[in-house]
Amino acid sequence: MRRRSWVNGLATSVVMISIACTVAFPFYYIIVNTFKTQQQTSESPLGLPTSLSLTNYKNVWDNIPVLQSFENTLRVTVLSVVFMLLLGSMAAYGIVMRKNRASRRIHIVLLLALAVPFQVTLIPIYQAFVKFHLVDSLNGLVLIYTGGAIFSYFLIQGYMQTIPLEIIEAARIDGCGTVRMYWRIVIPLIRPVLVTVGIFQTIWVWNDFLAPSVFIISPQNYTLVLQAYQSVGEYTTNWPAFMTLSVLSLIPITIFFLLMQRHIVSGLAAGAVKG
Amino acid sequence: MSATSRQQTGEAGPYLGTPPPSSSAAGRQRQPRRQRVLVSTRRREQVTTRLFILPLAIVFAALFAIPVARSLYFSFTNFGGYSTKVSFIGFANYTALFSNPTVLTGLSFTLVYAIGQALIVTVIAIPLAIALNRRFVGRNFVRAALFFPAVPSAVILGLVWTFILAPISMGVVNSVLGELFGVGPVPWLSTNLLARLSVIGVGVWSQVGWHAMLYLAYLQSIPTDYYDAADVDGASSMQRLFRITVPLLAPAMTVSIVLLVVFGLQVYALPLALTGGGPGYATYTMSQTIIQLGISNAQYGQGAALSILFLLMVALVLVVQVTILRRREARLR
Repeated sequence: MRRRSWVNGLATSVVMISIACTVAFPFYYIIVNTFKTQQQTSESPLGLPTSLSLTNYKNVWDNIPVLQSFENTLRVTVLSVVFMLLLGSMAAYGIVMRKNRASRRIHIVLLLALAVPFQVTLIPIYQAFVKFHLVDSLNGLVLIYTGGAIFSYFLIQGYMQTIPLEIIEAARIDGCGTVRMYWRIVIPLIRPVLVTVGIFQTIWVWNDFLAPSVFIISPQNYTLVLQAYQSVGEYTTNWPAFMTLSVLSLIPITIFFLLMQRHIVSGLAAGAVKG
Repeated sequence: MSATSRQQTGEAGPYLGTPPPSSSAAGRQRQPRRQRVLVSTRRREQVTTRLFILPLAIVFAALFAIPVARSLYFSFTNFGGYSTKVSFIGFANYTALFSNPTVLTGLSFTLVYAIGQALIVTVIAIPLAIALNRRFVGRNFVRAALFFPAVPSAVILGLVWTFILAPISMGVVNSVLGELFGVGPVPWLSTNLLARLSVIGVGVWSQVGWHAMLYLAYLQSIPTDYYDAADVDGASSMQRLFRITVPLLAPAMTVSIVLLVVFGLQVYALPLALTGGGPGYATYTMSQTIIQLGISNAQYGQGAALSILFLLMVALVLVVQVTILRRREARLR
């Protein structure tokens, strides 16, 4: 019996590791090719580079304002996620504090918003943005992403219901005001859910293409993803440069993933099982 | 789920929120002083809590309620386009959509994509999750590698695959096929059928790991007692799989498939990066058509009509999900 389970384990290992390598292969492929010249790439697209040449990176860095796009994306992401968490947690606190029919109705009406994809509100929002001069503006993008506060609200509100909060009652009896209670007591207590929601919203905003592709026009306002997409046209003949740009735009989100991996997987599990 | 059920039963307990109203209503006449103080603070709290909800209510109105209402209104008018005067034209925008071949191609590919990738991801993700639930060497590496494609933007993933599927020698799939089997370059991205299949394939590749992890989370919540009991009764491993594991994964399947279909209907960046919507309009999506009509061509009426159809499709999926969930909960009770 024991011997058989050992063999089974080995078989699972071999099969699963080969599947994982197949899935990861595209990333290997573009990374190795960023260190080759165009000729080397066409001669042996799969082999490891013979020398670690950084020419492609220098070339892309000098010709494309990657840093500018990175800064734009960082600014939009940080501001959007802060607003989402702030508005979402404030509303969750407000709703949970007063459990009556009105707050239950508000809760259900907000739930409807989750069913509305951005594509449905896109045209009216675009017209409003033209009127208020928010087209081609990073602040305009932040405003659009703040809509994610409603999704954040649901996750935070769900978390607040599951944790015992005797401290709140104690603080209230001791005469702690509503605003101070929110800052000093509620925010520290709900930190785990803020981290989870923050991570998921960061990945969403950082990667989003739909909003920047419609609302951003001038190159100095490009986000990283839009920059990669727009620059492809210029580089269709220079494949290694093209791949280098893709790799450069993968770096920040990969670092984020590696740092937050533990939270991402546990957050997914918690969210999934609670459903 | 747990949150709403607690609200419905009105369970009192050490939770954030005011206690049930019955306790305060009972002795309203003769309140001790301390309790009267509490009531007045509570009234002040109610005003403040309203202010806490206000910002989100504004966001809801500005980014959801008003735009949806305006989309609905535009969809029945000839706003934009050629006339300057806005007038009601009934369902003309909707009928115009259904006689526009570009719109119909976009609609059909979006539906094929949404349903196709949902089915394929489900069929692959469940066995993957079952395998990932076993102990084996290198499990953490495998989990990370499978999950990783869900992390980068769909645009970048699309670009990466354009290199891999390219017809020239650098396109690695074609060069390998050529060397091993002597097959000429396969036009992965330039014939209608292959381009559509490639987009679906890349979509599956990027999502299957994420959904396998979702199933894995459910698998890990299945109590081992069930399997122990099955062992005592002499169940075969096939019986254990189809009588315990798969039925208990049903709720996970509902969640996973709804996510896949709802996000699949919204697909935009992946085909745009991979094929640019082509060849021709073969991989054109509904999102792309809405942007084309409503932003680039200023045909607000038709664009809005298409976005309302879009909303109805998403709503239909969600209604079906809620119905299935309700029915299952009723059966369990």
